[in-house]
Amino acid sequence: MVKKALNPLKIDYKKCIIEDRLLQIRSKQNLNEPDLARVWTIEIEAKSSKPIIDFIRRRLQPDDPLTFTHIKRIRKKARDSKKLVIIVCSYDLFNSRSSVCSVLAESNVFFENLSDESEIPRQGAPTKELMLEWSRKYWPLTWCGNPNDQILNDYTFDMNHINKMLGSISNLAQLEADKGNKVPVVTAFVNPLEKDKPIYAIDRRMEGKCTPLDHSIMTGIKLIAGKEKKSNRTQAYLCLNYDVYTTHEPCSMCSMALIHSRIKRCIFLQPMQITGCLKSSSGDAYCMHDNRLLNSKYEVFQWLGDEYKIPTVDAKTCC
Amino acid sequence: MLEVRLKHMRSAVRLAKFALDHGETPVACVFVHEPSGQVVAYGMNYTNESLSGIAHAEFMGIEQLRERFGGGEELMCVMRDVVVYVTVEPCVMCASALKQLEVGKVVFGCANERFGGNGTVIRVNGDRCTGGRGYVAVPGILRREAIMLLRYFYVRSNERAPKPRNKAERRLDRNAFPSLPWSRYIGRESFVEEFGEKMLCHFDDSTDIFGDLVDWDLIDEPCDWILEHLKTQCQEFALHRRKKIKLEV
Repeated sequence: MVKKALNPLKIDYKKCIIEDRLLQIRSKQNLNEPDLARVWTIEIEAKSSKPIIDFIRRRLQPDDPLTFTHIKRIRKKARDSKKLVIIVCSYDLFNSRSSVCSVLAESNVFFENLSDESEIPRQGAPTKELMLEWSRKYWPLTWCGNPNDQILNDYTFDMNHINKMLGSISNLAQLEADKGNKVPVVTAFVNPLEKDKPIYAIDRRMEGKCTPLDHSIMTGIKLIAGKEKKSNRTQAYLCLNYDVYTTHEPCSMCSMALIHSRIKRCIFLQPMQITGCLKSSSGDAYCMHDNRLLNSKYEVFQWLGDEYKIPTVDAKTCC
Repeated sequence: MLEVRLKHMRSAVRLAKFALDHGETPVACVFVHEPSGQVVAYGMNYTNESLSGIAHAEFMGIEQLRERFGGGEELMCVMRDVVVYVTVEPCVMCASALKQLEVGKVVFGCANERFGGNGTVIRVNGDRCTGGRGYVAVPGILRREAIMLLRYFYVRSNERAPKPRNKAERRLDRNAFPSLPWSRYIGRESFVEEFGEKMLCHFDDSTDIFGDLVDWDLIDEPCDWILEHLKTQCQEFALHRRKKIKLEV
């Protein structure tokens, strides 16, 4: 992690574009509406705030899947200046009243009104105005800048490698088109531990023995599964942390297959306005990689430059 | 109709139990050729065995059909007449695959809370962006049995986890079941077509059409015979179809 000013990459934080080439793709819905999480709260006397906060930091925070850096943990109780309301932990950490009670008992601090009715945004707001609005509506927040700025700043990009991979898939796709493949879609899978050995996969649905489901991403995952099986390596997930480069924006089946495979990042060249499932403006706006209802995510970027030509496929084709 | 649905879903549940007994996630399906009532393919999850996160039951069924009928027009032709009986709602990926192959119908047991593609998370079977042909999905057939098999699986894997998170997650619940919000998966008209008007009270109350009954024998008895049984049925169908095609030619 580097400070924003020291990042060697050119990042346009407003437009979310890196090096004038990579556009970060996110769900529009996630930008202006908070993703809410239920939390446990208690009421305490103002004088007990230090011991209980110390206790929470030590005993509960390390295991809590939710972070509270964008939140003020303590707020005054309405119409009672001597009482404070404190967030103990997320509902994700403990879903039963008895569990929370038994942990709090260890603190020896007197508390009242244990409740799971409060909700807080899981992430900070993207603008100061929204931060104030969410503070009024849900729970007092702190302003530490647009959380996405930090996300963009923390991403790592090997631009040389990205260019090389995009060049390769673009060339392969052109070769496929020249050979008469009516769906010249190509995907490259890159294992972070073997960056110099990318695995290329081609859409095979038009070949005799194949089915209409043999899109490049599906054939690629199967290819990798076969190789891993032979090598006798055992990994929790097949394509864990892989980078995936593909010529055309994936369909609902393939974008979901990438979630199941636990990839880290997908970079695509050509948006598919009708069948694509990553961009907010594509298809039914599923934004599969950034869909709150699916509990797994991956990073997605669209290449904006025109360096890499790719053959066109019919607009209604699922890629 | 309900008797037919139950008959085939029982096979799927038995196959899921077989998967559980052999170290896999208990999700399974049978593909039934609706006009002849014959089983044409089956599948169970093999994500652990294959190391692949996409090795879902539905794909095993599709692969069996591809081996017998090839991947082209003949496969599509069979698929249009196929009803897929699957114990758990197909995930978004499988729901999309079945739509692209123009499956006739999907009948499932319980909802797939994390990845469901027939209404729980996304309703791919009726969307615009996925190619192929939209299909009706019928939820709630042997739903409690499907849920119980998943609970058996999670209790077992939690026992093996290095640090089980809390007691509530390890306890096997045999009594409480979530409600079934039918309208999330199936329209009122399709529901009536499937179950008859008398059952509409369940549609409106989000309750199971079989009441609180759970067929414990079905999910507790070992059923290693199910695999051979299904294999034989699939072979019979393939033979029959080949003869029919020859005659037509």
